[in-house]
Amino acid sequence: MTSEKKRKQQTAIQRRVIFLPRSQQAMQAGINQMINLVRPTLGPLPRYVCNAKDINRQPERLDCGGIIARRVIQIQDKDMDMGAMFSRHLLWHLYDTVGDGTTTAGVIFQKLYNEGLRLITAGWNPMILRKNLEKGLQIVLESLRKQTKPIEGKEQLSHLAQTICYDPALGKIIGEIFDTIGEYGRLELRDGQGRELVREYVEGMYWDGGYYSREMANDTYQTQANLENASILISNLDVNEPDDLIPLLVMAIDNEIKSILLVVRSISERAMGLILAKPNREKVHIVAVKTPGVDINAQAAAMEDMAILTGGRPLMEITGDQLKSVRLSDLGKSRKAWANNINFGISAGKGDPRQIRQHIAELRQVYRRLEDAQERNKMGERIGRLMSGSATLYVGANTPTEMEVRKELAEKTAQAMRGAMVEGVVPGGGATLLDCRRELLTRTADVSDPDEKAAYRILAAALEEPARVIMENAGVDPAHYLPLIQKAGAGFGFDVLANKVRKMEEAGILDPAAVVSRAVSGAVSHAGLGLTTEVLVHLRRPPMEFNT
Amino acid sequence: MTSIVPANPQCIIYALATSSDYIYGTKGICFAATSDGLYRQEIVHAGQDTWKYAFESLGLNEALPTTSVVLSPDFRKDGKVFAGVNGGILRSHDQGVHWEAVTFPPPSPVVSCLAISPNFVNDEILFAGTMEDGVLTSQDEGRRWVSWNFGLLDLNVLCIGVSPAFARDETVFVGTETGIFRSTNGGRSWREIELPIGYEPVISLGLSPNYEQDGQLIIGTENAGLLRGYDRGKRWEQITICGQEGLDPVNAVLISSRFPEEGEIMALTGARICRSVDAGKSWEVMVEVADGEANICTIAAPRGLGPGHPILIGSLGGKITLLRS
Repeated sequence: MTSEKKRKQQTAIQRRVIFLPRSQQAMQAGINQMINLVRPTLGPLPRYVCNAKDINRQPERLDCGGIIARRVIQIQDKDMDMGAMFSRHLLWHLYDTVGDGTTTAGVIFQKLYNEGLRLITAGWNPMILRKNLEKGLQIVLESLRKQTKPIEGKEQLSHLAQTICYDPALGKIIGEIFDTIGEYGRLELRDGQGRELVREYVEGMYWDGGYYSREMANDTYQTQANLENASILISNLDVNEPDDLIPLLVMAIDNEIKSILLVVRSISERAMGLILAKPNREKVHIVAVKTPGVDINAQAAAMEDMAILTGGRPLMEITGDQLKSVRLSDLGKSRKAWANNINFGISAGKGDPRQIRQHIAELRQVYRRLEDAQERNKMGERIGRLMSGSATLYVGANTPTEMEVRKELAEKTAQAMRGAMVEGVVPGGGATLLDCRRELLTRTADVSDPDEKAAYRILAAALEEPARVIMENAGVDPAHYLPLIQKAGAGFGFDVLANKVRKMEEAGILDPAAVVSRAVSGAVSHAGLGLTTEVLVHLRRPPMEFNT
Repeated sequence: MTSIVPANPQCIIYALATSSDYIYGTKGICFAATSDGLYRQEIVHAGQDTWKYAFESLGLNEALPTTSVVLSPDFRKDGKVFAGVNGGILRSHDQGVHWEAVTFPPPSPVVSCLAISPNFVNDEILFAGTMEDGVLTSQDEGRRWVSWNFGLLDLNVLCIGVSPAFARDETVFVGTETGIFRSTNGGRSWREIELPIGYEPVISLGLSPNYEQDGQLIIGTENAGLLRGYDRGKRWEQITICGQEGLDPVNAVLISSRFPEEGEIMALTGARICRSVDAGKSWEVMVEVADGEANICTIAAPRGLGPGHPILIGSLGGKITLLRS
């Protein structure tokens, strides 16, 4: 038997196919198990999920569906595990893209799946059901858009942050930070000393890539190089020979330039010797720093931003630029520049403000179109730099485990805050979805197609689920309060902390519109996919082969 | 008419500031920030008309051009005065007799304008607009200054306006070479306000005394006249002054304390001082500089705008004249 044939035979053996009704039953059981795991964490009075990481470490207390989804969870029954992993993917993806709304999406999805499966078992066509659910989703999203309002001011932002993370101290400080740095501002999260939360603001913009030599520092106490009225040469060139730098030095001396920030990919020891030679240094203080960015694209992006901020022209290796051909107009300018062994930064760049605005507007457009969370974050960072502000939050906690969880919580809150500042907010606590439900039911009355009607009804029931779960988690009977909310009208919900039905906006209970809309969209699309799945195929790990 | 520096016909008066009890030629203290330095007039008895160089105590060899001057709202009690100069800020605690310079890390800022919080007595906040360094803020009566330019995309600040309800709304506006920016957190971060295209630079601005409620402001531009902003700058409306649509720069805007009900606005546009009593619908020329006369540099209303209230006019050559509103 040829090795190819043998491989094919092995592959066939390694697959296990599960058909109806087992496939749906197992999927449903897995989905319910996964969502029931995160269900207690919804709302401002959540229950915790305790996760034992390993036998040597203290179990961690988790209160966020997204964080729970990121932990290694496996159900012994492989068929059920598929359902669990399917719903876990929804939570994980949502957590990655918007940072919040995971449990909301989970409970909507669970309700849709269970109710949808009931209809399918009764003989409804799954594909038509899926199509009608997606149609209903459009009505919900339209209603959401109508309810969306912009958010601004420290108070509103702090309220929102507290609604997202349910940690008053963390929420307050994150609200203040975002009020200062704006939706695109850079926020770095670091381990704090002690239990306190401490924030620091950094003015101007900075990049990774410190100076090449400590001897370039003129502030010896802080081992930092500070330049005033700096000229900036932006490049991704390698400086191998001292001769390469001579034209730059001559030009600087001729034009009375006293300080230069030299951004280069690498610099040789010999070239460095020329910069650091005392007679040269007395004439021009040159600080050479590393071109930021790990790959050519990242380098090009950083150089473009720097050039626009400072009014310079980047010298690129790819376009054949050389240091020898540098002209005065290629140099960017800034009031201040600094570098230490890790970063370098620019304050008050002298680029054309109109060009900076246009560049930011272009980057914002790209940002809105990006789907990939990592790409979005990178783009957000670029915009934040150009808007010239960043903050560092030192997250303190009682134990290292708690600190880890709190940092994750801060990260998730920050992500949701950005979404809220870009796309606005809606009344929180499930109130918005209850209003969407009302709108959907109104439309249902005009629908004659029984398939469509049935789909809208189960979607309406699913939209009620987050408010219901929030109340259940707070130990309140939803059956008592839901009719009261219905009677109170649009924008009303149940404030579990105040234990009463009230207008959520007035109580400061808000949710990022992006989070709510993505949670509903994700839940509907996932439910549609799940309901139209009939066959499961497992892959088994191939048996080990040993060559003797 | 009074003259500050009779010897220098090129002396420009950038700003005038008076104590709350100031009555022209009768009593009170007046400061004039000029290209020849800061001048101070203290009237102890009626008819006294002498101006003294305020920075005498610093023992400088040459005049220190002063671009702006502001007084504490409680000036008569606390005696605090602040002056913005080319290269820094000076402050005085004895009604401008003695001064001390505030040190800045290099490079030194070029201060273009100063503004003081209406709640200064409690919050001790001051703002300084600079050329190239954005906005500097002090929260300790001008001892230490920090730059907070988050979101301020244009660092060439030409004018600052602080909300009369700053203690509650923490709102500050700055006009720059390429637009206007607003902060709603006491100057910690800034957001650009969209202006109709072609209306920048913004060189003067005035906020409605009831800004907290009506959200109105008026801005003066370099070459596009006056604009009235509604809803905290979300909507703008062009104001035509005396039939001219912004031919001259609007160097100063004064708004009545009863605006918008009474709607009195005064604008210094080119060589004319114009007044409107119907919120900018119609205008009358109050003063027009004839050929050969010294051009007007600045105007100030010590007691605010109102019937019979005095208006101080600072003209080229260091001359100050009085006009009744």
